[in-house]
Amino acid sequence: MNRFLKRRWLALLGVLAALLLGVSGCAGGAARPTSWTGLTIVGQELYAADLEQIQVLKASDGAPVWSFPANPQEDSRGVFYATPAVDDEYVVVASQTPARGFFSQPANSVWALERDTGEELWEFEGAAGQYVEGGALGGGLFVIGNSDGNVYALDIESGALRWTFETDHRVWAVPLIISDTVYIGSMDRHFYALNLSNGDVRWDFEGEGAFTGTPALRDGTLYVGAFDDRLYALDANTGDKRWHFAGENWFWGSPAVYDEVIYAADVNGNVYAVDAETGEQIWLEALGEPVRAGPALSKDGSQLFVGSQDGTLHSLDTADGFVVWSREGEGQLLSTPAVSESVVYEALVFGPQRIRALHVDNGREIWAYPAAGEDEE
Amino acid sequence: MFNFIAYPLANLMLLLYTYLGQSTVLALAVLTLLINLLMLPLTLTQQRSARKMQEIQPELEKLQKKYGKDKERLAQEQMKMYKEAGINPMGGCLPLLIQMPIWFGLIGAIRYSIPSTPLELFQFAPHIYKWLPGIVGIMPLQSTFLGMDLGQPPNSTQWWSYALPILVFVTSWLQQKLLTPPSTGDGQSQAEMMNQQMRIMMPLMFMFFTLQYATGLSIYFVLSSLVRIVQYYFAQRGQDGEKVEGRRRAGLKQAK
Repeated sequence: MNRFLKRRWLALLGVLAALLLGVSGCAGGAARPTSWTGLTIVGQELYAADLEQIQVLKASDGAPVWSFPANPQEDSRGVFYATPAVDDEYVVVASQTPARGFFSQPANSVWALERDTGEELWEFEGAAGQYVEGGALGGGLFVIGNSDGNVYALDIESGALRWTFETDHRVWAVPLIISDTVYIGSMDRHFYALNLSNGDVRWDFEGEGAFTGTPALRDGTLYVGAFDDRLYALDANTGDKRWHFAGENWFWGSPAVYDEVIYAADVNGNVYAVDAETGEQIWLEALGEPVRAGPALSKDGSQLFVGSQDGTLHSLDTADGFVVWSREGEGQLLSTPAVSESVVYEALVFGPQRIRALHVDNGREIWAYPAAGEDEE
Repeated sequence: MFNFIAYPLANLMLLLYTYLGQSTVLALAVLTLLINLLMLPLTLTQQRSARKMQEIQPELEKLQKKYGKDKERLAQEQMKMYKEAGINPMGGCLPLLIQMPIWFGLIGAIRYSIPSTPLELFQFAPHIYKWLPGIVGIMPLQSTFLGMDLGQPPNSTQWWSYALPILVFVTSWLQQKLLTPPSTGDGQSQAEMMNQQMRIMMPLMFMFFTLQYATGLSIYFVLSSLVRIVQYYFAQRGQDGEKVEGRRRAGLKQAK
């Protein structure tokens, strides 16, 4: 009897352990990504959310300029995913401090830093949910959406909350600020135009799926994708729909626009070129791998860069969609690449190298961060 | 690992959500119920087998004492006893093995349909069956229930969300208590001690586990335990019925 029950007991314990491990995904270290990190290029510098730090690197060679916090082991500010927002004076970033212990909860903060030095200016802790994509600067405000369903507008000088706008679901989209209007989508299937000074609704458009991308603006028309597999063209003044284009799956990232063509990728890995006036498809290139983020254009508009989940960066000819070159990387590519005149920068998650600079013409690696062999962990 | 089960179940969850008034909790409840119903034959086989095993334990112990040194003979006699009692020695284990991937799959399905991280949502995106009616555009589900975000762990802002892990503990403890048969021994045996430990350990582990994970999972654990308690209640009634029937027949025989 004893032996039988002992075996049964051990078997049950084994099953339980397997259950716990299986469901927890055997998650390891504290900074294992649960989202994607973003990067942006402003002037000669590259600003990257790099999990425990904000890294500012020289775009030319990847040399570190400053990082925040300087020493995350001793002075942790949480995990940074959201793409930094940068203007002449400020770098504004958002982080999530994971819960420590069973009864604590994650803290979510927005940090304003001095652009030249990385010195901390203020912190805002008023949101209850995770910041996923980052915010935008304009009119003396920093505007950012949060998973708690609110859009927050903070005074850029003091960090004081100027207004909030409540939606019915998570807000993961980066807003677009044009003069005195904030354009932002929510997962409540609405796309809003808000008054920048007070958060009042100017118009709102209801789609049939969540909005998570930043709109592209061209000649008074906004182009934005949604989780209803559609790419919408909306009148920027009224919110009226001009046309919609149907893809195969969600348009998660933001579309790119050049001349009269809109470029967008759905999560199935289909890249589309669509006529901006009519919404007609010009070409389609199926990459065959899931794509999370929107594409980025080269400065001359001749190439389109799309990162896929398998870590490959694809360069497509904007004329016909043919792949000019593709460059594999270790990890996953889930954020939009940043592009300068001759270099395309990619942010990888789950890989040994987190930022790579590749030549736009052929994908040749110019530098990588951390450099090969440099042990940062 | 169990995505081949998790993805179809997550899609079923989306379908239920679409047709049950876009209520995540209702969809979760019906999904849990459906899976439990589907597993009912296996669960009953397992419970019956465990009960029979329990019944013949004293006999097995006697055999062990008798043939303890002669392993081969002991095995033969044990097999004989199993055969006579109509027990398949694997009867308790096999249904469990078949069920495990489905339970893992179901937990995966809950994580995909009520994702707590952006990466989980992205992982599920290419696996949504677009051909299912009414499914386009419904992700991510509206996951607020009683002011709690079902995609997030319990937190002190919504202090009442801590009630869920406590409920997980209570219901799984009750389930353990009902499903682990009481020992017939003197209460000091190793087996009984192990049973007692299990009754507390499992619910405790579930509780700590659900403290760290999305509250949607807690709701699933509570529902699942409740379903099994109800199942147990009905199985027990059936068993009592059998016993009554048995006594009635025995009585008839004696009367003859």
